[in-house]
Amino acid sequence: MGPKASFRGVSFPPQKVSNPAIEDAPLPQRVVLPLGEDRDRVCQPVVEVGEQVKTGQLVGQSADFLLAPVHSSISGRVTDIRPWFDQKGGEVLSVIVESDGIDSWQEELRSDERFLERATVQILADLKASGVVEIGPPAMPLHAKFAQPERPKEFLFLVGIPRAKMVDTVIINGIDAEPGMATKKAILQKNSSEILAGIKIIQKLLGSARVVLAVGSNGSLNSPLTSELAGLGVRVFQGKDKYPLGLNPILIKCVTGREIPLPDGSEQDIGVAVVDAVTLVHLVEAVRDRKPQVEKVVSVSGAGMSAVKNFKVRLGTVISDLVEQLEVLKGEPVKVIAGGAMTGDALFSADIPVTKETDALVFQTAGEAKSFSPDACINCGMCVRHCPAKLLPNELSKYCEFSMFEEARDEYLLHCIECGICAYVCPEKRPMLHLMRYGKRELSLV
Amino acid sequence: MDRAISLGKPMLRVSVAPHILQKITTSNLMYNTLIALVPALLAGIYFFGFAALKLALICMVTAVACEAGMQGLTGRKLAIKNGSGLLLGLLFALICSPEIPWWTAVAGTAIAVILGREIYGGLGNNPFNPVLVGWAVARISWSDHMTTWIMPEPLFGLEPGGYIEYPPLEVIRVDGLEALVDLPWLDLFIGNVPGTIGTVSVAAVLIGGIYLLARRIITWHVPVSFLASAWLFGLIFWLIDPETYANPTIYILSGWMVLGAFFLATDKGTVPVTGPGMIIFGIGCGLITMIIRYWGGFVDGVAFAILLMNATTPLLDRVRPRVYGRVKEVA
Ligand code: SF4
Ligand code: SF4
Repeated sequence: MGPKASFRGVSFPPQKVSNPAIEDAPLPQRVVLPLGEDRDRVCQPVVEVGEQVKTGQLVGQSADFLLAPVHSSISGRVTDIRPWFDQKGGEVLSVIVESDGIDSWQEELRSDERFLERATVQILADLKASGVVEIGPPAMPLHAKFAQPERPKEFLFLVGIPRAKMVDTVIINGIDAEPGMATKKAILQKNSSEILAGIKIIQKLLGSARVVLAVGSNGSLNSPLTSELAGLGVRVFQGKDKYPLGLNPILIKCVTGREIPLPDGSEQDIGVAVVDAVTLVHLVEAVRDRKPQVEKVVSVSGAGMSAVKNFKVRLGTVISDLVEQLEVLKGEPVKVIAGGAMTGDALFSADIPVTKETDALVFQTAGEAKSFSPDACINCGMCVRHCPAKLLPNELSKYCEFSMFEEARDEYLLHCIECGICAYVCPEKRPMLHLMRYGKRELSLV
Repeated sequence: MDRAISLGKPMLRVSVAPHILQKITTSNLMYNTLIALVPALLAGIYFFGFAALKLALICMVTAVACEAGMQGLTGRKLAIKNGSGLLLGLLFALICSPEIPWWTAVAGTAIAVILGREIYGGLGNNPFNPVLVGWAVARISWSDHMTTWIMPEPLFGLEPGGYIEYPPLEVIRVDGLEALVDLPWLDLFIGNVPGTIGTVSVAAVLIGGIYLLARRIITWHVPVSFLASAWLFGLIFWLIDPETYANPTIYILSGWMVLGAFFLATDKGTVPVTGPGMIIFGIGCGLITMIIRYWGGFVDGVAFAILLMNATTPLLDRVRPRVYGRVKEVA
């Protein structure tokens, strides 16, 4: 199945991925488990300081539908419950567990091969209990993604888009979006059975929805998987290796021809749900094995590494501990990036834990780290030529630079999908994405 | 709330995404364009001798000096290393007759840099193509100097092309079409005719233009629409009245047409940035050029066509594709 739309973007030089596709990272000495995504929305801790916990034991939960429960990812003793920095620089209440080195599980995993016979409600409940999070953006617990929207969105109603559409297309995103990410391809190669099981679960949950598996161009699927997929009625979408195909707004456009209505719409509004291929595996583990999400596959690259390596890391492992244990970096990193090299966040400290949303860690030495310049735009048009949202980033950046936010909004600033391409191609090395985000933030405060 | 993390450790660098940047910089763009102009300059030297090289050097030195002076005066960061001054100087020399006195070259270049560009705040902020601003002032002020022509005298190999004594467009204007009957098109193409240093040799300019396209420094939109619209416009009139109007190909091969399409009408900052905008810009340039060539007061219309279209650039930038995710606006 080919793309339904073309898009603008850039191609990166191919990246090397090392073998084996996924290695297990050593068990961490301690984990820091943030109880939510920001300071104001956190789960209630259900353990106390000093308590012994086992791997997979619930440590925090919330009545909020959009907050996933938190489980301990190692066994050991709760040494503290206190605020800890998260990757955006905020402080979030976190449970800190010191390992006992045994890794004894809360309950023995009992694989139930007849999981498909369970009632839909039961599957959703299992999913909710396991705390699987779709990494997004926007990140949200997976069960929320599969629940149909409750409330119509007024602005969509006004412009004639059928409100509260049912999800009719599920896209499994198997495309590693940006340099530094390699987990999805590895998962597609190694976890065929989980991919198939996950698709069956989704088909059960969403009934009539059609499922599309989107993969990168270099044939990441083995042939038995391809034929089984065909048997399930799943279509395979072969994309080309061009950024930002892996980003949801563009992927949806290429697969379905639909666009997310911006600025306020979401993929649900157009009846699409995108599920990350890695999340799909967690989904299966949650439903089939009733295993809470305590691990995450993370790509590690940069700092002189010749290839990207994938590690299965316990959630809450502090990045500096991870680096020490893995011993893969060749140089002293001055920049630690959580996420891919195009859209990831540069961390101000390496003492930040790996979370359910961390899919890659990119390290850069002083030689590799780039810097922006404060120079004026020369109006070369490079950014305009490459912007996948078809904006005029040159003008937007100038508006934002000179605090003309209203003008920027009228020029569709809020349609920017924050892919970072404008900054990547700019010959003046202007901090384009920063200016876009700055403008968006100022507008959101009005 | 006590600090969760001690920040005393080696500080990490933070910056906003993206964390990788493409290698191309502004100086790359400028120096690549300079490289693309080398064939045209060599052709100029080949046909007009070292006077051409001398003129080019004078203009380049003047341009960089003026640039540095203005940046110093206005207290801006010195940016002469990015090559934009050199490029401006070279382009100015290439659109002048090799015979112009040195002071005309210096004055024209200085006007181009100072009044054409730096006064607006430097590279990318000027509304009009600075090279053409400088040239227009010089052409109007020192008309005689700017329109003295010499015969090409190839340094080696070729026989001097002796069919016409002025640039072909002047010949059409002054002597009529018959005077061009004997002129071999090959002479026009390789540049064995009188004219300005860098524009006589269409072949050399084309090599540079294709280089620019191949390195993706420019896109096809402006050059293609410029040349195509000029040729089609010429074709229409040639078909109607071949006695009065020359074969359109002659118009493409003579004067500044090709240099204008590839180098002057693609000047960063003074041309639209959207695809449709660039195409309209190119078409406008092509048509206005031909209109001036047919009926205007100046012999070659390229410069004024581009300057006129520069003025429409802000407007043409409004012509753009539909942005992602825009829902139909309700009445
Ligand atoms: S303006 Fe936004 S969507 Fe366009 S290239 Fe820049 S970051 Fe990407
Ligand atoms: S790429 Fe940079 S210099 Fe070029 S138009 Fe865009 S913002 Fe301006």
